[in-house]
This record gives sequence, structure tokens and C-alpha cells, in this order.
Amino acid sequence: MLRTQNLQIRRGRKTVLTDITLELKPGEVLGVLGPNGAGKSTLLGALCGELKADHGNIWLDEQELSHWTGALRAQRLAVLPQVSTLDFAFRVEEVVGMGRLPYQSGRVRDDEIVAAALNASDAGHLHGRSYLALSGGERQRIHLARVLAQLWPGEAGQTLLLDEPTSMLDPLHQHTTLQAVREFADRGAAVMVILHDLNLAARYCDRLLLLEGGRPVALDTPDQVLRPDRLQAVFGLEVLVQQHPERGHPLIIAR
Amino acid sequence: MRLSTRVAALCVGLLASHHVAATELPQRWVSAGGALSEWVSALGGESKLVGVDTTSQHPEALKALPSIGYQRQLSAEGILSLRPQILVGTEEMGPPPILSQIRNAGVQVELFSAQPDLPALQSNLQHLGKLLGAEDRASKLFQSYQQQLDQQKVRVTKAQLSLPSPGVLVLIGHAGGKPLIAGKDTSADWLLQRAGGHNLATHTGYKPFSVESLISLDPQVLVFADRALSGEEARAALFKENPILSSTRAAKDGRVIQLDPTLLVGGLGPRLPDELKKLSDGFFPGTADQ
Amino acid sequence: MTVLVKPRALFIGLSVLCLLAIWLSLALGPVSLPLLDTLRVALRMIGLPIAPDGLEQAELILGQIRLPRTLLGLAVGGVLALSGVAMQGLFRNPLADPGLVGVSSGAALGAAIAIVGGSAFGGLPEAFGPYLLSLCAFLGGLGVTALVYRLGRRNGQTNVATMLLAGIALTALAGSAVGLFTYLADDATLRTLAFWNLGSLNGASYSRLWPLLLISAGVALWLPRRAKALNALLLGESEAGHLGIDVERLKRELVFCTALGVGAAVAAAGMIGFVGLVVPHLVRLLAGPDHRVLLPASVLAGASLLLFADLVARLALAPAELPIGIVTAFIGAPFFLYLLLRGRA
Repeated sequence: MLRTQNLQIRRGRKTVLTDITLELKPGEVLGVLGPNGAGKSTLLGALCGELKADHGNIWLDEQELSHWTGALRAQRLAVLPQVSTLDFAFRVEEVVGMGRLPYQSGRVRDDEIVAAALNASDAGHLHGRSYLALSGGERQRIHLARVLAQLWPGEAGQTLLLDEPTSMLDPLHQHTTLQAVREFADRGAAVMVILHDLNLAARYCDRLLLLEGGRPVALDTPDQVLRPDRLQAVFGLEVLVQQHPERGHPLIIAR
Repeated sequence: MRLSTRVAALCVGLLASHHVAATELPQRWVSAGGALSEWVSALGGESKLVGVDTTSQHPEALKALPSIGYQRQLSAEGILSLRPQILVGTEEMGPPPILSQIRNAGVQVELFSAQPDLPALQSNLQHLGKLLGAEDRASKLFQSYQQQLDQQKVRVTKAQLSLPSPGVLVLIGHAGGKPLIAGKDTSADWLLQRAGGHNLATHTGYKPFSVESLISLDPQVLVFADRALSGEEARAALFKENPILSSTRAAKDGRVIQLDPTLLVGGLGPRLPDELKKLSDGFFPGTADQ
Repeated sequence: MTVLVKPRALFIGLSVLCLLAIWLSLALGPVSLPLLDTLRVALRMIGLPIAPDGLEQAELILGQIRLPRTLLGLAVGGVLALSGVAMQGLFRNPLADPGLVGVSSGAALGAAIAIVGGSAFGGLPEAFGPYLLSLCAFLGGLGVTALVYRLGRRNGQTNVATMLLAGIALTALAGSAVGLFTYLADDATLRTLAFWNLGSLNGASYSRLWPLLLISAGVALWLPRRAKALNALLLGESEAGHLGIDVERLKRELVFCTALGVGAAVAAAGMIGFVGLVVPHLVRLLAGPDHRVLLPASVLAGASLLLFADLVARLALAPAELPIGIVTAFIGAPFFLYLLLRGRA
């Protein structure tokens, strides 16, 4: 389990993130929301060990994150960044196959997992294509398949961190992606996902963390976090909150 | 034994040894070094040459021979493909591992000094003479060379009594452009001193000068050599590329002498005395027949 | 969809090409040896009991001249291509080339110091001359690369973008230093320097060959083991780190292998450009960017290219020789343009 206590990150004189105490529970999808510059990507960076914390530590299971190395860490923690640059003409399955690097599972098993991960990202039909020939949205799904393959099939003890995995996707694929993520969590993995779309967050996340100016404003279920007064205070947007007619989760409508 | 028989036996012995030596003389020659090739030709060995390097431009006939490339970057196999019996060159010949490869293939490799002085030339000529079986001719050639140089010296000394040594600059250019000026320790400097001139350049080696320096030195005589062009073309190109030269005393007085650039590499060559004479004619006008 | 050549077909094809290049490099040359003689000497060399009569010249040409030259060409071609792959992986850019980290310009500087400095002291001593030159070139290459690497490091991390800029700056600095040496050089030294800058496999001998052979073999055996890690590095340094790779260590290895390999190659054969840039590119166009195929294939392709280039260098102007750097550019560039225009990029 990935967790942190009183995490604080400074950049020069400015405190960009502070007072973060968080536990990513197995089987749970935690959504991170907030306006631009609220510190969402900083939080993700700190949780995966890329940014050094000025205060507070990150623990993965019973060890500090920085003490985990190489393949062992990669088998428990996978990160999908916001933007991926790859300038070489790999085939789609080769890119996804890189997710299997931390394992010695053998060619056959790896191929199976790659195929399954591609299907989960609704990218099975892209098998055999050149990565450079894909659109931005298709590339994003390939990278999602890669991190899914890294933790496949997903179980307790594994953590998946995603930074805006739906930013370039069309409405259908926004849902299929988050559905795949949801299923991952249902198999026991802990997931943290940064999202911009409040309604997607409301639908697919078990808990939400609302950040503003580097501080946690709320950490609770979507019903509790997504309230008009709070949303107006943080986003400056006047909203109505209703209940989804079929699913029951909050539905945020701008006024 | 009677004296005449002894003499006869001696003569026969000498002739026989000479004949034996002649059949052992190398017949297929490769030469790397312009001056050396010229001396080989001067000693009558031109027909024995089967390959020469890029600096061997005289006599004209040598240009038709297969080229073994630049003397410092020779190819062992290339030379061996000409089936030579001897390779001659100066100490500038290389690269060194190539020379040992050629020796290992059974080819005689003879190195000659490229020092521009008479003792070196004498030993070179003696050596070449032996290898060509033309020792007499070699020593005669050296004697006349020495004589010519002595005459040159006398002429210059005499001329300097009545005329001052002119200030000279030697320019080496390529199609007129970017000329380098010859300073101390260059063969051009050696030449112009033997011709009685006074080198205005005090640096060492060949270096480019700024136009201002050229003008401020204001040479009385300009000597130029062009690597790409010759004759009138070269002269025209020099002044076209460097118009400022026209304002020097030398240009105004028409004292611009052309020099063959091949004389500047590889030690003393046979054409040198004539070129010295030409230079002295230009340095001390009116003293030509003294 | 680009149709790629399958790895197996590629390796078979390249191996055949390489063997052909080796054979032609041994069998052809300015001295024309009868084919039978060549065969007999070759068989003798691998230990078969064949009578040596009439084979002296062939043995000399093959054993002392052509065989060391072929080995040199294999080693230099292979290691330059391999270093090209390493640098393109390090900088995550298919246009990178080993020169970017300064090893070529450093080697050129080292050589210039040896050539010009040596002549200033009255000429390099006959026996040590070539060794001193190679040593200075090698040390120059390593020195500048070490400096570039050092400049790119901060807080225990190597910033590739900074390294790139440092490499460009130091290359320019080394270049101007070489320019200064060129200015100070006399005519003869100038020619030597110029020819060194154009590269040549001429004068290869076993005694000077073995350091390069050892280093190339080392690099050629080591880098392919990091193929999967190199693949992941192309995703990005942080992504590769998240996949469990020690990225700092990998970058260090890549710079080190390149410095050693290219330094040794340049020390042995002068500056032969273009191979490190074009060969990986060509192989990638044929077989894709997977390093598990790219690395070994580039060794074969680079070695073959260089041997063919050397054949042209030796035969085109025989009995003189063309500097091989000119030939590699002449062969590689048009072929590369042709492939690009055909739209396989």
C-alpha cells in the first residue's frame, strides 16, 4: 500500500504542496481534482518518487519508497504520465510489451498479457500498427495498456498512478479507459487518478481528493466532496449538483 | 706475371665485377619525392621508373606514370602492385609501418635526406649513382651543380658590391587566393637568400599576412608561386585576388618574379641553379652576365 | 503500414553480406593475386597442411597487409555503428551521432597535439610515432567526453539536454584549438593532419590492432545485453525508471562505451564519420527500432559498410589510396536519401 503523512513539497521559496496525508487503499480508485496549479501533478510526482519531498515520507508497504529499487518496485508501482514522447517507429505491441520489462514471465505469457491489456484499453484493433502512425488519443490508450500490462492482472499490493489519462480521448474512450481502471481496482489494485472532468470523477472514483493552492480541501466520497458551495469556492464555477438518474452518483451541471 | 697481364687481369676483373653489379642493379624503380625523381631522371634512370608520387612533376614524362599518391600516405599494396625492385624516397616518406611491409615483401627501400644543403645532396647523388650504376655521371653532375652554385655565389657577392640586396617577400598562393608568406626555415627562404635577396618576413614557416602588413613591409621585389596556375594566368590571378599588391613598390616597378612551387619541396633539385639565376637576375637587374 | 524485414531474414542477409565483404576485402586489392593462391593461403592460415611453395608473396599480401586491414575495418565499422545506436538511444533522437558527446573532436584534438607538438620537438620518434598518435587521440576522446559527462551531471543525475549543449560547446572549442594547431603547423605537418582527419585503414598492423579489437569485442558483447533497457529508455527517462531500470547507470554505460569504442576506433584509423549516424538509421528503416535486433544488426551492417568502402578506397585510384572518410560519405549519403525518398521513414 502506498501512503504518505504530512507531505510537503517546496519549490524555491514557494510551498507547492503541503499537509497531505494519504493512503491509497487496495481495491479503491482515488480521484484527484483541482484547478490548474493546485498541485495535482506535483502530488503524483512525489508519490512515485520523482520529486523529492521536503517534509514527510512516502511508504510503499513497510518500506520507504526510496528504498525500493528496480524490478521489485516496478512490479508493485506503475505510473502513467500526462504526456509521453516516443519518436521511434515501434509496433504497438512492442510498446505495450515494454511494460513487461520487470518480469521474466516468458514470451508466450507476455504476448497474452499484451493482448489482454490492449483489449482492456479498447485498442486491440491497433495490434500490428506503427506507434508513430497513431493519433494522440490512440497513443494515450497504448500507454495505458502498457501500464496495465506492467501490473497485469492487478491485485492487492499493486498501485497504479495515472495523470489525466483521458485528456485526449473522445467521450466513448474516456469511459472505456476509466472502466478498465475501475476493473483493475476491482481486482484489488490501488489506483490514484488525476482528472479534470468532475462527472467522470464522480462516476468512477470511490474517494476524491480536492486540492486547492497545494492544500487538501476535502478527502471523502464523491457525494461529500462534490457540493455546490465547495465547488464554487475552489473552481469559481456556479454549479448544480443532481443525482445521476440511473447510477445515483453526483452529476455536476454548470449553471 | 708481367705487368701488362696484371693490368689486363685487373681490367677484366673490374669489367666482370661491373657487369655482375649491373645485373644486380634494381630495374624497376618507384620514387616518392619530387627532387629525387628529377635526380633519377637526370642520372639517366627515367626509363626505370614505374611509379612516382604526386610531387614528382618533372620531367613532364613522369606525369604519365602510375601515381602512388602523396608521399606521406603511401599504400603498401598499391606500390607492390607495380612490382618494384626498389623504392626511393626522403625521410618524409610514410607512414612508417608501410615501409616495413614493403621491405618484408623483398623490395629494397632507400631513404634519402631532404636537407637542403650540399653535403646531403652529394651523399644522395653518390648513393643514387651507385644504385643506378652511374657513379661517374653522378659525381660529374654534383661537380657541375656545385660549380653552378659557386658561380651563383660569386655573382651575388659581386652584385651586392654595387647594388643593395632588395627587400623581398615570397608568396605562395592557390589560384591567386589566400597567399602564404614564406618566413625563416623554409626552402623559399633558402632560395631567396642564395639569390642575394633579403627576406622581409621574420616569422617561421609559411603563414598568412594581413594586407596591412604586406603594404607596410613594402617589398622591392615580389616572388610568387602558385599551386594551381602557371604563367600569365597565375600572375593575373595573384593581382586579381589581392588588388592591394598593386600599390607595392615591387608591382609598380614591375619587379614581380614567378617561382616554380615544386622547387620548394623535397630538398635540392637539379633545376635549382637555373631558378636561382632567374631570381638573381630579378634582384640585381643588369648584372645578368657577370 | 511499413513492411519490415523479419529479424531472422535480416541477420541471415547481413551475415552473408559481412562474409562477402570479408572475402572480397581479402581477395581483392591493387596486387592481383590468383584466386587459387588466395584460397590456399586462407586454408593455410586456419591450420590446414598445404605446401607453401610459390605462396610467399600471397602470404605477405594476405597475412601482413590485407588480413590486419580487414580486421581493422570490421572492428572500426562495428564499433562506430554500435556507438551510433547507443547515442541515438541516449539522446532519444534518431539524428544523434557519437560526435555529440565530443569524443570525435576530442580525439582530433589529441591527434593534432601529437602531430603538431611532435613535429615541434623535432619529429615523433620513429618507433613510437604511431603509438603516440593513437594514444593521444584515444586520451583526447576520453578526456573531452569525460568533461562533457561531468558538465551534464547535477545532484547525482545526468541531464541529457545539458550534455548535448556541453558537447556542442566543447566540440566547437576543440575545433578552434585544432584550428590553432593547424595555423602553427608547417606544410608537411599540415598534410599529415589533413589526411588524419579524413581517416584511413592504411598501415594496419597486428601490434596496433589488438587494443581496438579487445575494446570493440567488449563493447559489442556488452551493449546488446542492455537492449531491453535501451528500448525502455526511448519512452523517456522517468518512464524507464518506473519500469525498473537504473537509468543513471544506463546513461553512464552508454557514454562510457561510446567514449571507449569511438576513441579506440579514431585512434586506430583517424576520423571516419558518417557510419555512426547512418548505419543505425538504415537498419531501423529495414527492421524497426527494437534494440534486440538493432544492436547486433548494426555491428554487422557497420562492419560490412566499412569494408566495402575500404575496397573502393583501395581500388579506385590504385596504386594511390582515397581516404576512407570520403568514401563512407559518398556511399552512405545517397543510399540514405534514396531510402528516405521512397517513404519508408
